Amino acid sequence: MITDKARLQRFGDPMAGEEVRGRSLWADARRRFMRNRASLGGAIILVLITFLALFGDVLAVWSNEELDFAVMGQVADLGGPSIANGHYFGTDDLARDLYARTLQGTRISLMVGIVGAAIAVVVGTLYGAVSGYVGGRTDQVMMRIVDILLAIPFMFVIILLLVMFGRSILMLFLGIGLLSWLNMARIVRGQTLSLKHREFVEAARATGVPSFTIILRHIVPNLLGIVAVYATLLVPEMILIESFISFLGLGVQEPLTSLGALISEGAKTIYYGTLWQLGFPLVFFVLTLFAFFFVGDGLRDALDPKDR
Amino acid sequence: MFSYIAKRLAVAVPTLLLLIVLSFLLMHAAPGGPFTQERALPPQILANLEAKYGLDQPLWRQLASYVWGIVAHFDFGPSFIYKDRTVNEIIAQGFPVTLHYGTLSFLVAVLAGVSLGICAAIYHNSWLDYLAVGVSIGAQVLPNFVMAPILLLTFTYWLRWLPGGGWEDGQWPYLVMPVIALSTSFMASIARITRASMLEVLTSNHIRTARAKGLPERQVILRHALKPALLPVLSYLGPAFVTMITGSVVVDFYFSTGGIGKSFVDSALNRDYAVMLGITILVGALTILFNLVVDILYAWIDPKIRY
Repeated sequence: MITDKARLQRFGDPMAGEEVRGRSLWADARRRFMRNRASLGGAIILVLITFLALFGDVLAVWSNEELDFAVMGQVADLGGPSIANGHYFGTDDLARDLYARTLQGTRISLMVGIVGAAIAVVVGTLYGAVSGYVGGRTDQVMMRIVDILLAIPFMFVIILLLVMFGRSILMLFLGIGLLSWLNMARIVRGQTLSLKHREFVEAARATGVPSFTIILRHIVPNLLGIVAVYATLLVPEMILIESFISFLGLGVQEPLTSLGALISEGAKTIYYGTLWQLGFPLVFFVLTLFAFFFVGDGLRDALDPKDR
Repeated sequence: MFSYIAKRLAVAVPTLLLLIVLSFLLMHAAPGGPFTQERALPPQILANLEAKYGLDQPLWRQLASYVWGIVAHFDFGPSFIYKDRTVNEIIAQGFPVTLHYGTLSFLVAVLAGVSLGICAAIYHNSWLDYLAVGVSIGAQVLPNFVMAPILLLTFTYWLRWLPGGGWEDGQWPYLVMPVIALSTSFMASIARITRASMLEVLTSNHIRTARAKGLPERQVILRHALKPALLPVLSYLGPAFVTMITGSVVVDFYFSTGGIGKSFVDSALNRDYAVMLGITILVGALTILFNLVVDILYAWIDPKIRY
């Protein structure tokens, strides 16, 4: 056999350089997410909207509470969107600047969505993980409670709560928090059931780690992928619920506003010909929801082990 | 099968009782009574009023008689605001209307959604598929309280084809917009679910067998693929029904149809606790009943479910 050292060397060199680097689950997921154009677009839109909601007030000429007396009473004729008088999105029927109000509404809607999803993540993950890990009768009782709560018409209960205990944003959060964690708990429990007989959990148990630490340190980190997916899909759902309640006039109260409240105001004044009052909040609303759904779908493709 | 139904009932009945008790206690935990007004009533009148509605009794007895009234006589008690009307009368006025357009929307949503989903799955990756997916995503971000004003603007304000509201015993011009507003988002969800599960079923072994033995495509789809593909849709119908009743709040608001949603919002704004409570419990009971029916249907259709 002729061994050409130079040729062998040539052959070996690229292989040595091409050291296979381990890819973590998250790096893998990021790569998959980046390749999905729709969800990447959604993420970019989401960043832009958040940025505008947080810092867009810098561009505003009017604050969200000022009344423009030059326009008041003639909103349909003079209150349209114009750069000249500083109302980029026009004014609402009380001659308040719609640009500032839309930004404020977007801020609050995003906050409601994120807080609702955060409650779901914390409560639902812990509840589901504990229920699935402990198992047996505890599991049955805990899941039966979730089943019962799921059968209650929650929209009506939230409205009941808001009417009886006053229309505060705190009560709104409480009501949304009450309902948001239920499905999360079920999903997490299912995942936990499949995780708890794996070797690393067994090893932890054999070395005497207490149950709660196992749940927090070994189970929950392995659930993060699926939790992230459902949290992203929960945010638009929470925004929709809040908008629905604000639409009824029971949600966020003046001087605060949300996209749902703005849309409902816009819908009520539609016959005066002030279409911009519905249009601009609606565009923000639809874009935000679209973006969240696309990002959620992309995350599911990237993170959900079932669909690989 | 019967033991399965019994087991489901054993869950449903306590759930319903729990719902009644919880909402009742919630009502009593609220600050202020039903007769709290800006100008305080003289104490004697207040006492008489409370005696008339049984509010001077101890809480457990009020609760017991309330629950007993519902369970035994289907009686939700008197309204606190309208002196001459009971909650039953208020519900009886609005509920048939909601049931009318609700059932119609439900049928439209299921029929249109399933057909759209099946077509999208059969012609996978064609323009029809993309259209179906596009419509279903669009409908997801356009909730009914956005759809309704847009419909009104288009059909009443610009085109002047349809009346802007009213009920008139459910004549069709008055039904068109409520049904569209209520059914669109469900149709979209159902189409999406049908499409996904149909695509999955079409790649399964028994479909390959059916094709291999030379069945015509129509028969493959109608006889062999449709039934397993519809199972996920069936389990979606329970939650869909609840959301549809919630949607009647919007429909009644925009189209003045005077259904149960209107009674609920009116009572919420009037703080008429008895009516709110009655409607919440009624909707809860319907939800539980509907979930029960769906569960039983599911077990009946899918032999893999263990009773």
